[in-house]
Amino acid sequence: MDILNHLLAGFATAGTPVNLLWAFVGCALGTAVGVLPGIGPATAVAMLLPITSQVDSTASMIFFAGIYYGAMYGGSTTSILLNTPGETATMVTAMEGNKMAKSGRAGAALASAAIGSFIAGTIATIIVTLFAPVLADYAVRLGPPEYFCLMLLALTTVSAVLGQSTVRGLTALFVGLAIGLIGMDQITGQARYTGGVPELLDGVEIVLVAVGLFAVAEALHAVLFEGTVKESENKLSRVTMSASDWRRSLPAWLRGTAIGAPFGCIPAGGTEIPTFLSYAVEKKLAKGENLAEFGNQGAIEGVAGPEAANNATVTTALIPLLTLGIPVSNTTAILLGAFQNYGIQPGPQLFTTSANLVWALIASLYIGNVMLLVLNLPLVGLWVKLLKVPKPQLYAGILIFATVGAYGMRQSAFDLVLLYAIGLLGLVMRRFDFPTAPVVVGMILGPLAEAQLRNALSIGEGKWTIFLERPMSLTLLCVVVSVLVLPRVLKKRKMVVLI
Amino acid sequence: MSFFSIKKNLEIIVSLGVIALALGLALGASGISSEAGYAGIGPNFLPLLVSAGLFLCGGFLFWEAWSGGFRNGPDSDPSEATQEKPCWSGMAWMSAGLLLSAALITTIGFILSCALCFACAAHGLRQANTRPSQTTQPQSIRSWVVDTALGLAISAPVFWMFTKFLSISLPGLTQSGWL
Repeated sequence: MDILNHLLAGFATAGTPVNLLWAFVGCALGTAVGVLPGIGPATAVAMLLPITSQVDSTASMIFFAGIYYGAMYGGSTTSILLNTPGETATMVTAMEGNKMAKSGRAGAALASAAIGSFIAGTIATIIVTLFAPVLADYAVRLGPPEYFCLMLLALTTVSAVLGQSTVRGLTALFVGLAIGLIGMDQITGQARYTGGVPELLDGVEIVLVAVGLFAVAEALHAVLFEGTVKESENKLSRVTMSASDWRRSLPAWLRGTAIGAPFGCIPAGGTEIPTFLSYAVEKKLAKGENLAEFGNQGAIEGVAGPEAANNATVTTALIPLLTLGIPVSNTTAILLGAFQNYGIQPGPQLFTTSANLVWALIASLYIGNVMLLVLNLPLVGLWVKLLKVPKPQLYAGILIFATVGAYGMRQSAFDLVLLYAIGLLGLVMRRFDFPTAPVVVGMILGPLAEAQLRNALSIGEGKWTIFLERPMSLTLLCVVVSVLVLPRVLKKRKMVVLI
Repeated sequence: MSFFSIKKNLEIIVSLGVIALALGLALGASGISSEAGYAGIGPNFLPLLVSAGLFLCGGFLFWEAWSGGFRNGPDSDPSEATQEKPCWSGMAWMSAGLLLSAALITTIGFILSCALCFACAAHGLRQANTRPSQTTQPQSIRSWVVDTALGLAISAPVFWMFTKFLSISLPGLTQSGWL
């Protein structure tokens, strides 16, 4: 009942006209950002980080959360209608969704994706509501050694497991950790790698790194290499589902949710594995004509399942962020940065110290999902028009917003030069297929992990065996090892299943 | 020089860059105190660890590049499949736009410098888009005017929204707060 009371209080906070407006603007902006190629939720939130200096923390977290999951709804629209796969999260949706759109069933695919996102998002929000406080209660008992192991787990998975090459992932992670090193050491206050520049004592702004790596690098890549890439757009048909579509989608949505939700809860980030798993499951369970549709006319289960898995994972990823302070993706890392701008460190205490904020945020997830369903079903035609924005104006416009974000944070023109330099770094990384998520996560999580490591070693009086003596941290270390090994096995099997 | 040997050379440069970064970090770490307190490791521990990690990764990348290129690359990058030359002139325009706006933002204000950046970047992207038919001259004065107007139409509302509504200070040309 305690949870219910908190949740009702959260609804009261989130339901004020101003906060509803923030949620709506966030959802609409998120959908737009998801639909537009070249800009994702991480970039959008990063560009808007300067508002944290003016807007009240609850309002801005509701706003950012709206962008965060709004982009998941919008992303599926692009991947179904355009013939270029977007982010990894929607890659799987694109496989069947595109085929469906080509055979004139774009409307059904869009409807199944949107309703599936709504169902999965809502179920996952219920999971967040029920389990986040429990986990927070439990997490209070974790000490520095356990936290360090958890962070190690998050860092390993984001760099070594996701992406195509472990060594390039690790390189990106170390680059991120190196950027995180710049500034004052958290424990002794010692300045590191500041080169005597006073501005660098506070460290490098996350806005610069995120916006430079994503937005500027994306624009530079587009101008250098994508000039003549031709895109074709599928025709939008009426957004309805037949009775048989419903019959086929419903179990797929539920299965997708069941597969996706656990993946978000553990700090083993990324939507790549759950969406692929869901796709494989749907394909395996399909029979007769439905099976024949996979890869030919496009099977609706192949859209419904992965899309639900995607949204479930993204929503439950808020659990480790809120209860442990551990981000597992680009966007959650930047959300953590937003919390830090308010001087709030997400972690088990968050549910007691900032109960208002947390419960308003959770309540806004319910509200936002309803808003997004309305925004994406009847109004989908509106968003599709965004796909018609010509590339030159689109990328040039993104650069304006990049400038706002980078300059607005510290009012320093030097930051704009730095932004360009980071953009060049991102261009090289993009060209040679280095993942960018480890840079952002490493930069945010690195200093926190270092502090936990040194506190843990202080507790162990300098002995590294402290990590092996405590059962929980030993278990976590074992998980780190298995996380390194298991996905490789799964990936091999996944390939076999898909072929 | 064939396409693949260029790619190999570039990959070697990238891996050497990673190694250079590692060495730079190690050099910087030598100036950080190692005073450890109870923990047994001091502020210089993570820098040294990161430097060692980068060095190992750089070495591995170098070996990969040397022996046939980075492994597990993307299966089919559409831009690489065509093996087309990158559009350096477009890149130059976009870079000019970004750096000019960085240089001028405090003097000519946010709106004008962003419109300038927009126009330059859009010009570069147009150039990239029309490369196959380079014989024609599609860059007319008209497209410059349109781009600049569009840039103004985007940056002005952004400026007002951020400065008036969110009260985040951005530089203006005048003190009026509207330009």
